[in-house]
Amino acid sequence: MIALENVSYSYKKWVGVTDVNLKIERGEFTYIIGPTGSGKTTLMRLIYMDLFPEKGRVLINGFDTNRLKNRHIPRIRKNIGMIFQSYNLLSDRDLFQNVALPLHVLGMKRSEIKEIVSEMLNEVGLYGKEDHYPEELSGGEQQRACVARALVKQPEIILADEPTGNLDPITAYDLLELLDTINGEGTAVFMASHNYTLIRDRGHRMVQIQEGKLRA
Amino acid sequence: MDKFLFLVGEGFKNMWRFKLTTLTSVFSIFMTLYLIGLLFTIGENSQKLIIYLRSKYKIEVFFKQEVTDQQARQLTEQIQKIPGVRSATAIVRANAAQIFKRQFGEDILTILDANPLPASCVVNISRTQNTAVDISPIIDSIRQIDGVDEINFQGRLINRIEKYYDLLFKAIVGAAVIVLLVTVSIISNTIKLTVYVRADLVKALKLVGASNMFIKFPFIIDGVLQGLMGSVLASAALYGTITAGNHLIANMTNRIRISSDIYTISFWLISVAVLIGMIGASRASAKMLK
Repeated sequence: MIALENVSYSYKKWVGVTDVNLKIERGEFTYIIGPTGSGKTTLMRLIYMDLFPEKGRVLINGFDTNRLKNRHIPRIRKNIGMIFQSYNLLSDRDLFQNVALPLHVLGMKRSEIKEIVSEMLNEVGLYGKEDHYPEELSGGEQQRACVARALVKQPEIILADEPTGNLDPITAYDLLELLDTINGEGTAVFMASHNYTLIRDRGHRMVQIQEGKLRA
Repeated sequence: MDKFLFLVGEGFKNMWRFKLTTLTSVFSIFMTLYLIGLLFTIGENSQKLIIYLRSKYKIEVFFKQEVTDQQARQLTEQIQKIPGVRSATAIVRANAAQIFKRQFGEDILTILDANPLPASCVVNISRTQNTAVDISPIIDSIRQIDGVDEINFQGRLINRIEKYYDLLFKAIVGAAVIVLLVTVSIISNTIKLTVYVRADLVKALKLVGASNMFIKFPFIIDGVLQGLMGSVLASAALYGTITAGNHLIANMTNRIRISSDIYTISFWLISVAVLIGMIGASRASAKMLK
């Protein structure tokens, strides 16, 4: 489903990732663990085509970065749900509007959107808070809203970049449980974290990254 | 259709969500376009005023005593052909006697038993030129015509009016060019500003897989609406200013009136603002999508 082949990317002043080879299969749950600045976010950005490899290639559902055209990027991203540490919710829209945004992009009808968003908010435990604005939600609720926004378009994979970074241990645990549930329904999850203690016993594949290089 | 309605709705909602930036943008569009409209109206009216004044310019040419009425008509036709002359009307000796009677109440033929008044002609200056009328070459050309005895004209007054008009015209054109350039820049930049403050929205849309057109469309709608609002306000203010100006002038004199084709000016102001709004928003959002 996703393959990174000999991928290298460097920033002006530091190395992003070097010679990375990684495969993520359909429905798989993979953790990528490493300290801050080790290249986890760079890897995520390479997967969702925010960055392009200087060497090697990234393959996503048949799309190859070496032969990719700009107009293909939205199509690729429609199949990827993204969750960030900083939530990235739009502060001028309520919860419903935030979660509904990807469905408007897909061109769905209003009635369908209403139904799907309600179901999704129910699934992440935010039902009844549709008209709340992000600032009126707790950190955990905002992160669940972010999960709902990522999931609402039924992507094949969820990329979660340090999603527990701003959460207290209990809320972080709840979020991991939620991601497990999502994965159980067939969605692949690729999650970055620097908190080894939090994820070590969850029984999923774990990949380690350090100074831009993957370790066995 | 749902997608299109959503995008149009987003354009309207964006304006409401970012009230302050929208208000700033609309206000700067309004101010600059109002100034442009005002300059245009001043320019248009100053030209009408100079045309009116030029219609009052009169050169009286007196022919020598031996010039017959027939020759006077021929000389008048010759004068008519001089560049800058709009019309020349011959006044034959009999007509001159009638004018004398009208002006002085006495019949010169009764007093002197003969008509001593020479034939003459009245010359009007061409009045539709944008550039200042230089009366000297016309006078020189008339003076060179054989049979011309004396020329009367308000030389100093005409020269002074023309000189000031020339200065005013250049100043208006210069100011209009500068204001127009500033207007384009201000409108374009304020609209860009309203796009830049929504960087988080652009980022969010990109991440959920929105196409570039999907992201740009609400911004374009927003830019067009801002241009439309600013220019409609400017047109209304211009209309109000002209009406108030005419009201004030009417209290002083009923001979002068500010005239303006407000509908044509409004049409151009709205078209320019909408176009700049559209292009400015499109370019600014395209820049953020890179």
